[in-house]
Amino acid sequence: MRLQNVSLVFKKDWLEISRNWQVLFPVIVVPVVFSMVLPLFMLNFPSQTGALGPLQGLFSNLPGTVKALFLSFDEKQTTFYMVAVYFFAPFFLIIPLIAASVIASDSFAGEKERRTIEALLATPVSDSEMFLGKMLVAFAAAMISTLGSFLVYVSVVDAISFHLFNGMLILPNLTWLLLIFLLAPAVSLASVGLTVTISARVKGFREAQQINAIVIVPILIAVFGEAWIAVILGPATMALLVVVFALADVFMFLLGVSMFRREEILANMA
Amino acid sequence: MSGIESHGLTKVFGSFMAVNNLTFRVEDGEVLALLGPNGAGKTTTIRMLSCLITPTSGDAYVAGYSILKEAGIVRRSVGILTESPSLYERLTAVENLDFFAQAYGMNDPLERISRIRQTLEKLGLWERRNDRVSTYSKGMKQKLAFARAILHKPQILFLDEPTSNLDPSSARMMREEIHSMSKKEGRAILLSTHRLEDVERLADRVIIIREGRLVAEGTPRDIEFKAAGVSKLEVRVRGNHPELREKILGIVGVTDVEVTDEGGRFVVGCDALEEVTPQVVRLIVGAGCDVLSVQELRGSLEDAYLNLLKEGKGA
Repeated sequence: MRLQNVSLVFKKDWLEISRNWQVLFPVIVVPVVFSMVLPLFMLNFPSQTGALGPLQGLFSNLPGTVKALFLSFDEKQTTFYMVAVYFFAPFFLIIPLIAASVIASDSFAGEKERRTIEALLATPVSDSEMFLGKMLVAFAAAMISTLGSFLVYVSVVDAISFHLFNGMLILPNLTWLLLIFLLAPAVSLASVGLTVTISARVKGFREAQQINAIVIVPILIAVFGEAWIAVILGPATMALLVVVFALADVFMFLLGVSMFRREEILANMA
Repeated sequence: MSGIESHGLTKVFGSFMAVNNLTFRVEDGEVLALLGPNGAGKTTTIRMLSCLITPTSGDAYVAGYSILKEAGIVRRSVGILTESPSLYERLTAVENLDFFAQAYGMNDPLERISRIRQTLEKLGLWERRNDRVSTYSKGMKQKLAFARAILHKPQILFLDEPTSNLDPSSARMMREEIHSMSKKEGRAILLSTHRLEDVERLADRVIIIREGRLVAEGTPRDIEFKAAGVSKLEVRVRGNHPELREKILGIVGVTDVEVTDEGGRFVVGCDALEEVTPQVVRLIVGAGCDVLSVQELRGSLEDAYLNLLKEGKGA
């Protein structure tokens, strides 16, 4: 595999999507909703009322070591801390999945619809170089979206916590750093690999999106649950999840390349 | 071994035989035209030769490399103008060409820029180089797609309908460029086209395929004669002399005589034009008639092509 060709495909696709608002829209809007709009609403509500309310169930299931943290907090602080540190954490795994979904679905299926795929397949760029280049475009968009969301979210949380906790900034902590810089990329790569594989095998973008939605939803649910557990149980569990998804990344890439057939891609052209 | 050599190329899609045992050769410096109706297998043939799809059976050598065993090298050695332009419409002309130039191994930026400029200037697109391809007309897109095919100076060219969507002057420019690449630069060119004008002006040889099979092969002239069967001579005389028909029929080698214009025009069918023509002229002059014009009537390539497809005549 020549990295030069991977980079070439990456740059070309990046340039294309930067000029495609249809594809950029979810990359921008989804993070804004998850990192700013929802948190602002949910964080302000308990910080004003101090009520645990629906979070009581979550609180009661927390491990003792975690509950011990809250002994020095009042009810408003406890509620705010739980929402900010635990409740929203798994959403930062959903952001890269959703943000990258459109770009990854468009990777090959879009080229088939726009009838640009034949000239690309006729070049000496190999199957794996093409596949990886397109994966990395979706992945890069997902990570920019996630990191941007993280920065905004931390700013929002710390702006409120500074007032609520008398100058204490509650984010980021080690678990969150592992979540954003290790687990989110690992999960995102696996998802992107799967979506690009689907994109290469269907006739068009809409079909890719539909199949992706069906496949991704159960994965999302599983990831959401696991991430919540990992955030609560701490860095060691988080690190274990990272290893699992890193292996999944390699598997998805190898599977995608092995299923890549230029002939079938051409035959499936709309 | 160079150029293109196809040995029994066959492609079956499910139960449909798209290409059936196709064998032909294109030498360096030669233009071979692939003629055939829609669905005949022309595009499938080009896709096999350019290693986009794998043959069901048979093999081919392109620029000396096997399409079965050395597909990557084959792709580097060919330039392909696909049926649709296949351009990235959100990118500019320069961005499109820069991408493909690098994909085909042109790694030196200075060489790339120089070659892009040279190609765009030659095709009259340099002024619009920084405009997005979505703003281009169909003809401009076709020219840009052609630029992409020739940018890396490939030894072998596959051109699918190169002059489609082009105005007459652009089509002429394109034909001149193709001719130059073939004759001056020695490239082997396989041209798939419906336009018989392109075949007549460009092709050194023609192969006609129907339902995936080769039905005729030869120079355009050979194809015309094969389909026509006999040569035809047109003689115009002053005045009306229908009585000359019987006398002309008596000449050895004359197969039939058609009289039109009330005896002022004779179309003489014969086996050997060079032997019959002087005899016909001598006869008419000897009968006291004035000969106004004598010319060979060639069957058109279009007639030949349509006849061959209809009758499925062999080469």
